[in-house]
Order: sequence, then C-alpha cells, then structure tokens
Amino acid sequence: MKSSETQASAMAPVDNRAQRAERSPPSRGGDRVTAGIRAAINHVDLNRFRFWFQLVAFVLFVYGGYLAIDLGSRLPFFSCGYNQEGRAGVCYLLPLQHQLSRPWPMLFTAASLSILSGLGIFFLWFIVLNKGWCGFVCPLGTLQDWLTALRRRLGIRYANYTRGQFAQLTKVKYILLALTILIPLGIGGGLWSHDMSPPFCLICPARMILPAFTGDFSQFTIDFSSKTSIVMTTLGMMVTALFIAGGFIKKRFFCFLCPMSALHYLFSKLALFRLKKDGDKCTRCGDCYRVCDLEIKEIADEVNKPNIMTDDCTLCLKCVAACPEDGALKATFAGIPIFESTEAGFIRRMR
Amino acid sequence: MNTPTPIEEQPAFQRTRQAREAELTLDHITDDFDGNPAGMQYFYELFRRTYIKGEPVAHEGKLIGTTCIQVPDELIYAVGATPVRLCNGSYHYDQIGADFMPAKSCSLVKATLGMLHSETRIPKTAKPDLVVNPTTCDQKKKASAMIEDMGYAVYDLEMPNTKESEEARIYWQRSVRLFAHKLRGVTGKRLTRKALKAAMARTARAQAAFRRLHGFRKASPAVVLGKDVFLVTNAFFFDDIDRWTEAVEKLNTELAQRQADGFHAAQRKAPRILFTGSPPVFPNLKLPVLIEEAGGVVVADETCSANRMLYDMTAVDEWLLYDMVDGLADRYLKPCTCPIFTRNDDRRRRLLDLAADFAVDGVVYQSLAGCQVYEMEQKSVAETLNAQGIPMLYIETDYSPDDQGQLSTRIEAFLESIKTRKRKVAA
Repeated sequence: MKSSETQASAMAPVDNRAQRAERSPPSRGGDRVTAGIRAAINHVDLNRFRFWFQLVAFVLFVYGGYLAIDLGSRLPFFSCGYNQEGRAGVCYLLPLQHQLSRPWPMLFTAASLSILSGLGIFFLWFIVLNKGWCGFVCPLGTLQDWLTALRRRLGIRYANYTRGQFAQLTKVKYILLALTILIPLGIGGGLWSHDMSPPFCLICPARMILPAFTGDFSQFTIDFSSKTSIVMTTLGMMVTALFIAGGFIKKRFFCFLCPMSALHYLFSKLALFRLKKDGDKCTRCGDCYRVCDLEIKEIADEVNKPNIMTDDCTLCLKCVAACPEDGALKATFAGIPIFESTEAGFIRRMR
Repeated sequence: MNTPTPIEEQPAFQRTRQAREAELTLDHITDDFDGNPAGMQYFYELFRRTYIKGEPVAHEGKLIGTTCIQVPDELIYAVGATPVRLCNGSYHYDQIGADFMPAKSCSLVKATLGMLHSETRIPKTAKPDLVVNPTTCDQKKKASAMIEDMGYAVYDLEMPNTKESEEARIYWQRSVRLFAHKLRGVTGKRLTRKALKAAMARTARAQAAFRRLHGFRKASPAVVLGKDVFLVTNAFFFDDIDRWTEAVEKLNTELAQRQADGFHAAQRKAPRILFTGSPPVFPNLKLPVLIEEAGGVVVADETCSANRMLYDMTAVDEWLLYDMVDGLADRYLKPCTCPIFTRNDDRRRRLLDLAADFAVDGVVYQSLAGCQVYEMEQKSVAETLNAQGIPMLYIETDYSPDDQGQLSTRIEAFLESIKTRKRKVAA
C-alpha cells in the first residue's frame, strides 16, 4: 500500500470519533459542556502539555527572582536556594537542615516551633500536587527530561534496571533522607564540623547546576578551606557528574534516589492529587509500565489497591495517557477525576 | 508469487468436501437469521469466494504463515511481507491431520497440519515462505517438526511459560528481536523505523475499528450477532488488512445507524452470552451459530480468533526501533490470556470484566477435545464465574458435525434456564 494512503487511513479513527460524538444522545446543555471539557482533557497530548508546563515552571523557579517573585522557603521541590538571584522560592530541604543543625539545647526550646511550622507550610504546599511536584514542576526533574529528549534525538537507547537492582536502589532515597536529617542533628550536637552543613545540599546536583542557569558558576569549585569542605564539595562534583551522565542514559535517574521524594512519600496518603487505578478494568497489558520513567512494575501488576502511587512515582501521568482502557487509571483532585484513561484518547495519542 | 493452480485441475472430491462444509456453515450464518447487516455482505462474499469457490488469496512480498496470534504482524508488514494465519477450522483437514497427531489431540492443530499437508490448501494462498510457530502448547510445539517435514521453512518463536516475571518479559523481548532479524534474512529487507511506524499505524487502525465493533456489542438489545462478528474476525486471518479495516469501518457506520434507530438483531430478552475457550475458526463456527439459532446472542468473546487477537493495543514511549519492537513484544505477551501460561488470573479477571461490561447472562466455554490447557482451566473459570452468580456451560467438542443434535439440546436447556432465572428475578 502506498504511504499516502496509509497516512490517510490512519486518520480514520478520528473521523469516526467525531461522528460518534455527534450521535451521542442529547442531554442537558450543562452536562454536554462538562462532557466536552472532560473529553478534551482526556484526549490531550500529555507529553506536549507536560513539556510546556515544565518549561514555564522551570523559567518561573529559576528566573522568577528577577521579577521579585518569592514563594517562600518551604517548597516541596528543588527550587535551589543557592540560585540566589533567580530563584522564586527555596527548596524546603535547605532550611530544614539549617534548623536541625541548631545546638541541641536550642532544639528543645520554643524556637523549635519554627521547625514544626516550617513542616506545616511544606505540608500545605505538598498536598496540593502530591508528587506531581516532581513530574511537573521540579527544575531538576525537568532537566532530566531534557537530557532524555536529547538522548532520544541522538537515537540512543535508554538503560533499565534489573528487578534486583531496582529493589536495592529504591532504598537509597530513604537512606539519603535519614542522613539529611541525622547529620544536621549531629552537627548541632557538635559531633561534626559545621563545614558539613547543609549536608545534602552540598552533594545535591541542583546546588551546582541551577545557579549556572543564571550565569553563576561559583558552585563549580572545590572548597579547600578544610578537609571536610574538600570532601563534601568533591562529593558534590561527583554527584553532579553522575546526575548528568545518569540522566542521559536512564530516564529520571536522580528521582529514583531523591530524599525529597522519600520525604514526600511520608505524607502522600494525605495529598489531594492522587493516582487511582480500577483493577477490574485493567487487562494488565503493561502499556503503563512500558512508558513509566521510573520502571514501576506495580502500576501494571497491582489490581487490588485503588491508590496505586508508589514511593518512586513522580505523578507524571504518562501511565494514564498510555492506558487504553476507559477509566482504568485516573488522576483525581480531592476525589474529583481530572484526567482519565480513555480508549479514544489512547488511539489519538499513539498515532 | 506462485501461480495458483486453476480450480478445475484440482481433485474434485477434496474440493467438494471442504467446500461443502464451508457452504453449510455459511448458509446457516446467512439464511437462518433475519436482518443481516448490509455491511456483512463483504464478509459473506469473501468467505464464499475463498472457501467455497477456492479463489486464490493474494499477498504482497513474502508470505509469512503464522500458527498463533502471538506473532507480531507489525514486524512482518514492516519488512514488506504479508502475514497469514494458518489456524484452520475445517473437519476435512482435521481428518487428514489425524495422521500426524495422536487420536485425542486438538482439532485445530490437526486441521492446520492437514491443511498444510494437503495439495489444495484453503484458503488458497501461495506456499508460505516461512511458517512462524510460537512455542505455546505442547501440540503446537510438536507440530513444528512435522510442518518442517512437509517441506516448509519453519521458525520457532520462543515463548515463555509464564508472563508475570520480568525475566519472562525480557526473554520474550529478545525472542521478538531475534524474530525481526529472522525476517530480515527471509525478506532481505532491513527493519526501519519509518516502515515499522507505518505498519503499526495499519494494525492500530484495524484494532481501532475492531474495538469500535466490539463496543457496539454492549448495546441492549443487541445490534449485531456474534456469528457475524466471528466471521469478521476470522476474515482477519487471511484478508488484506486495509481492505478488512475499511469493511469493518463501513459495518460500524451501519451499526451506529442501527443503534440510533433502535434496531435489534436478536429478541429483546435474548440471553446475552459471553463465549470463551478454544477459538471458533471458520468453518467451525458450530457453537456460536447454535447458540444464536437457539435464541441466545453472543455479545462478547474471550478467544484467540477474535477479541484476544485484536483488542490489546501497543503503547510506545520513544518512537525509535528499540522501543517500538519492545513495545510490540510487551503487547503480545503481557495482556495475553492464553491458558498455556502457568496462571490464569488475568483470564478470569478479563471474563468478569467482559461479563459486567456487556451485561452478560451466561458464559459458554468451548474446549476442543484434546486441548488440555483449556480443559484444565475449565474448573477454575467456572468457580470464578459462579461465585459472581454467572452460570457457565462447559462444552467439550471437536470439528466433527456428529454432536450437533446433542449440543443444541444442551444449549437450549442452558438458555432456557437463564430465561427462567431472569423471569424469577423480575417477578
């Protein structure tokens, strides 16, 4: 068959759908509008939507500071505080580590209420998007998606973990979170030098990479002022190199190891934005697992739990977009479905 | 392409037996029912020409015969070849094939062997340049060497025995990649991204058409009968894919009109039947036709000659060869509800889902005698369905027409019991 004919024929399902929409039984005007909006959302080209959403979020949080935007310092994603000029807010891990590294006697005074209030504000931010902050907003996540896009353009295959590697590495984020909390406490107790503070930030790739986007390359240095500083900044260099190399060959390489992701998961049961699965409608075709950047196998295999989001999930919703079964996967906000898997949406997207 | 032997030169006796069998089935399908959709004419004609008149089936490029739905058609189209599914439903060939297999083996495997062994293969395609035989059930596995002995080039497409584990998935992905290499060897054409994408668009369009047809069967009262849908999907075995898709799209347009007009293809209260088990392959549409002649309507199926063959669609993340080929591999393995796998949770869940979606009153489970895997799963499927209050009729049969009388009695009793239940519930 000639290619032109093939192309023409590939268009046919759209026509059918249009006809079907016209034929659908007339209902009250309001319902029809709602149904129309719902259909439009469910048919959306999610990858394109995400690309633009992420780009806007990246610009906002990396350059927003120049427009005097300041959303506080309790943000649940890597809007890096070291990006002094451009940041539109600060990642919560920075103030958290500072607060925890106060001298121990101070920890048990009323001053520590600020730790709780900080956590409270972080929580309020967090519950809005749940881990959607990772999939849609986090500048470091966006950067990894751009690295992925670059790799794809070069036609290089992505890497996968074996299930064994996955099972081991998925624990790393919890270890990092524990260290992010315990090391500052140790510093406050005088066990370690203040040159180690804030420990996670010193090894976080965002500290070096995000300021670079505003022309500040000062973080790309090894601090020779003390042995601890040498070790921490060298480690930071290595992690940043690993971030770039890893992000190039593995989709969302760093997210899998991110302590913020671990912190999120502690609260995710209370979040408003959710990923839900109706196991009865699932054929376990594995399409969702195929497209998952974090290689979460449960998304395809689990058919009993309605709350399907796991600790590695970034709520990017690619699984919902790649599901051909009506209503098997859906993203809900405060219980209201906002993006749902549909057969028609799938057929449109996979052309 | 081989030039087909003119029909007159073939041994008259064989042609007549095969053709008579096909004609009988087709006559039942067309003449025993009122209000056949006009869009079905294409398919009635196609089967009349192919099975009764023995007209040759054309193809482009190399011809790749497949003995199972697990062979990715997309890869075959992408290298400019044409797939044809060899699974056969003829009693005539079943008897010829009996020479190869033990007496108590599956009619479908025997008929396929018989057809390949026969001088006059119907559907009358050229001799396949390659026969791809996925290593599914034991009988199909052992058929490989026999087909090879008949003078065909055979390729064993290695399949795992389980599908849940990541190891099985990786193993199958590698199998599919090897198969892509094999196709290159056979056709001399390299698999390219562009060709594969075009091939996937062709099958996706066919699948979209099928899914729409499938969706119309949810309508109550029914707008289309199961015997017609089985005929449509059986045509997919050998028909040109684009022509097939267009014919299905035309049929869909007609069915949409029927639905809008409130047309019903069966009686308003006809028991709605879900068909599962061994696949009905033309001309062995014995059971679906008997069900509908007895006043039931087959509203959905879970068989590899219809739903399982066309329903599940491929998702790709990165439209490059590595991801497209692996994506195809996943689509052919992960959702498969074939009983050859160790576990059948997915099959049981699928049946429950179909039963709920299509407002099913009862399930008819066909096991071709000798098809052990379906026979073995019967009990667990029956228990799952009965636990949900869905009655199931288990029928063990083969391609021989001898048990028709007995079967129609059992089916009528089953449908009657469903009607009685419904009346009781209503009262």
